[in-house]
Amino acid sequence: MSHRIAVLVFPGTNSEEETARLLLECGGDAHIVHWSKASTLPHFDAYVLPGGFAYEDRIRAGAIAAHDETMDHVIEGAALGKLVLGICNGAQILLEAGLVPGRGELRRPTAAFTRNGPVPHFVCMRTHMKLVIDPARSPITAALPKGALIPAWVGHGEGRLAAHESELRALAENDHIALVYAHADGRVDASAVPNGSALGAAALVNTAGNVFAVMPHAERDGWTYNHPDRRRGDDMLAPSGGAVLFRSFVRGVGGR
Amino acid sequence: MGSFAGAGIALRPDELRRIAENLGRDPSVVELHAFDAQWSEHCSYKSSRHLLRALPTSGPAVVLGPSEDSGILHFGEHNGERYGIVVAHESHNHPSQVVPFEGAATGIGGIVRDVVCMGAEVIAVADPLRFGRIVPGSHQRYVAQSVVDGIGAYGNAIGVPNLAGDVYFDEGFDDNCLVNVVALGLVKEAEIVHSYAPRNADGWDIVLVGKATDASGFGGASFSSVTLDAADEESNKGAVQVPDPFLKNVLMRASYRVFALLREKKITAGFKDLGAGGIMGCSAEICSAGGYGAQIDLERVNVAIDGLPPEVVAIGETQERFIWALPPEITAAVLHIYNEEFTLPQIAHNARAVVIGKMTAEKRYVMREAGNVVMDVDIDFLTGSIRDDLPHHEIATPEPSYGRPLVTGMPFGEVLERVLAHHDVASREPLYRRYDRAVRGRTVVARGEGDAGVLAPISGSKLGMAVAVAGNPRYGGIDPRLAAEHAVYESVRSVCAVGARPTGLTDCLNFGNPRKPEHYGELVAAIAGLATAAREFEMPFVSGNVSLYNESAGGKAVPASPVVACVGTLSDISCVVTMSLKQPGSVLYLIGHPQGALGGSVVLDVLGRHDRTLPRIAYEPVQRQHDFLWQAMQSRLVRSAHRVSNGGLIVAVCEMAFSTMHCGHTGIGVQIDDPWQWTHGALGELEALFNEAGGFAVEVAAKDVDAFEGLADNVDGVYEIGVTVEHPVLSLRNEAFDLSHLYDVWRRPLAEVYP
Repeated sequence: MSHRIAVLVFPGTNSEEETARLLLECGGDAHIVHWSKASTLPHFDAYVLPGGFAYEDRIRAGAIAAHDETMDHVIEGAALGKLVLGICNGAQILLEAGLVPGRGELRRPTAAFTRNGPVPHFVCMRTHMKLVIDPARSPITAALPKGALIPAWVGHGEGRLAAHESELRALAENDHIALVYAHADGRVDASAVPNGSALGAAALVNTAGNVFAVMPHAERDGWTYNHPDRRRGDDMLAPSGGAVLFRSFVRGVGGR
Repeated sequence: MGSFAGAGIALRPDELRRIAENLGRDPSVVELHAFDAQWSEHCSYKSSRHLLRALPTSGPAVVLGPSEDSGILHFGEHNGERYGIVVAHESHNHPSQVVPFEGAATGIGGIVRDVVCMGAEVIAVADPLRFGRIVPGSHQRYVAQSVVDGIGAYGNAIGVPNLAGDVYFDEGFDDNCLVNVVALGLVKEAEIVHSYAPRNADGWDIVLVGKATDASGFGGASFSSVTLDAADEESNKGAVQVPDPFLKNVLMRASYRVFALLREKKITAGFKDLGAGGIMGCSAEICSAGGYGAQIDLERVNVAIDGLPPEVVAIGETQERFIWALPPEITAAVLHIYNEEFTLPQIAHNARAVVIGKMTAEKRYVMREAGNVVMDVDIDFLTGSIRDDLPHHEIATPEPSYGRPLVTGMPFGEVLERVLAHHDVASREPLYRRYDRAVRGRTVVARGEGDAGVLAPISGSKLGMAVAVAGNPRYGGIDPRLAAEHAVYESVRSVCAVGARPTGLTDCLNFGNPRKPEHYGELVAAIAGLATAAREFEMPFVSGNVSLYNESAGGKAVPASPVVACVGTLSDISCVVTMSLKQPGSVLYLIGHPQGALGGSVVLDVLGRHDRTLPRIAYEPVQRQHDFLWQAMQSRLVRSAHRVSNGGLIVAVCEMAFSTMHCGHTGIGVQIDDPWQWTHGALGELEALFNEAGGFAVEVAAKDVDAFEGLADNVDGVYEIGVTVEHPVLSLRNEAFDLSHLYDVWRRPLAEVYP
């Protein structure tokens, strides 16, 4: 039986179409589910929260969405061990909901993706992410090679990981920092971090490993035609590059 | 002229007399404001429409010419279906000068609606911008920063990538910035939705959709049709609309769902954006264009606050609204999509879809409020074309003066650095990094990676769509006609530089007060220039916009600013070419004839010299160069390419090298041969390296040189100019310049404005 993935749309979400399309092309049984159909969510086996500006990012990015009915179902599903992937605004929502890193109470976040620093502006640019946890730490990364380098785009104004110093220490010690910003050649240094994120963090995973929050958009560099280093003989329409993250997620869900 | 401007009415006495004569009575307050909006320059194009007839608007690629909210160009076929690219171009100059963030954001919001209402999915936006001198602490700098933030905030939120744009800084824009916006959409040609009601639509419902009508944007159309007066700044702010990208995001998605419903039910409906003239303007146009009249009941309009005067409800330009003309049997299902499925009332205060009236066979436009008729006019008289024949001065092209080669005591390295740091040349990356350029996952060449932005808009298809904009105000200030020709040429050239075939054009004409013969003369000359270039390139204009009165109260007008966008098609995205150098050991060529004319060039500006001789366009050789480049790219002989433009050939080559230096890469260098050799002594060194006449710099791998030169055999204007080298150095004769230093010089100026 196929495992159904719900790609959630909150009012203000804007990346559901390409996210669902890449999941489908990576073998996932993805369905776009709008907020007015939230009551159908318990029938799905996994949830993907795509990018955008849910509820206009009022108060803080993700703060209002974290409290709506859609998230009641995601929180229930996560507790049952269903896989949850949040991308950009979706990642912000997962942190605001307290699902990631999941070290405190629900909806009482211990860490947040907050206003970029040192320059507090929206930034859009190509980037790379490097896997810095054991792939087996999470079913979502399990199919990635160790140290995988994933191309992506950042496109956010609030992507800087911020938390109390003791919390940041705990995040590092307990392998919650799953992906960090990196250069195209895999080097990791401060100049690769586009937003001042603590520990260079691009993605966090929860304690159980089933909820994953990633700021950069791997789906925007998910097909060969998206890559600047595409070669002419390549299959331009094939999922590649950032698609590895989606393939690994789909495999974790139980797709092909 | 404008003698009622103080009373908020831009209509002139002769126009008011005509209205009273037609009505056989004095107009009501609502009627007065209705005609004021409909007959404004903004809506009626009264002083430009007859001039615009000179532009070519037909051709094999034209699916829909300039007659509705947007034009449509044929794009290609996929799975047996024909696809079109919807193209719209508009200005939001006045509002952006008064409240830059909101004004610019609303510009994006408005142009996106023009594309959506054709039944299309919005796939990209572009933003040609013109700002004043941006010295620290100046109002001009604040405008330049806030406009960019406004465009970013809106485009990012609705999830449409910013694919192309340009920006110039010139004292001519100190009092009037220009914010032009382009939006592009994708539509199946069999599924186009028109801005008029179809046949047999008598008795159809008129449905208003979107934001609750409020008091914002009242008088916007006529406000755009007068010159700006600093003393009126506060009252002008009331004429500016308030953007809501969050609501628009939901409205777009809900409208896409309605399109699917109509397709499924095989229903043809009319759909139109509410822009200038508000509910009145939009409902009158959608009905009159189909040959109908309308009965509108203002009490049914969803309003944000009670007690608004009827003229404000009828004519105010509250943003984020559309009107549908629907057969009654489908109305309930459409209302359900907007109000229940996409929960509009919960997205924004009292936002919703609501029936506000009916279409009538009798061609009168009748509006009621509380049972009283507040407007009752002949609909064709209201929306029909009016024309102003204004006197204009002939603007002649300055006589060319070809003197001796330019010489300067300034060392070459310093000239180069000053050109690279010039505000019209410096890296635009600090500006466009604030724009989402990759949302939707279809970006092939992002802004800055090539001369045109490229998308792969159709899933499963290798078709690529390219778009680029152009319009050089340094040229506009010298010769509007040649400036217009160059705007077409540069936009076409940019599309060619990525390997696409240009298919069509759209324009935005930004000028001063047309009632001054010298400014009207500039408009006349620029349109003639656009027509010449478009005919030579065999390229139609499918849409466009005219923005006049870009003039301060002191009478200072903007430089003549014809801005052009060109759209092109790649039949296979694997043939796309970017600007970044690919490897050391390649050969560099110039394709194009360098010219001695330096009028309007950046190098003259940095040297403080003046010359009014602009480069000429020799269309025939240029066409052959474009064909040759396309063939070479199809044959995969070109590794990278960059058009020659602001700053000339040497800047183009530097930028190709700079593109390799991102993200801590050391980069590839270039060695340029002595220009004396490859121009055969025809030009001075500064002319050869800094002239902006056109052409391309291209990189050809050593192994492909023979094939490339063989293909170039019959093409005039192909010069071997140098090679790429391993180290990040620009070498010229016996001098070497550190490219990483030059990169910093080029990167810093706008990074200070857009940190």
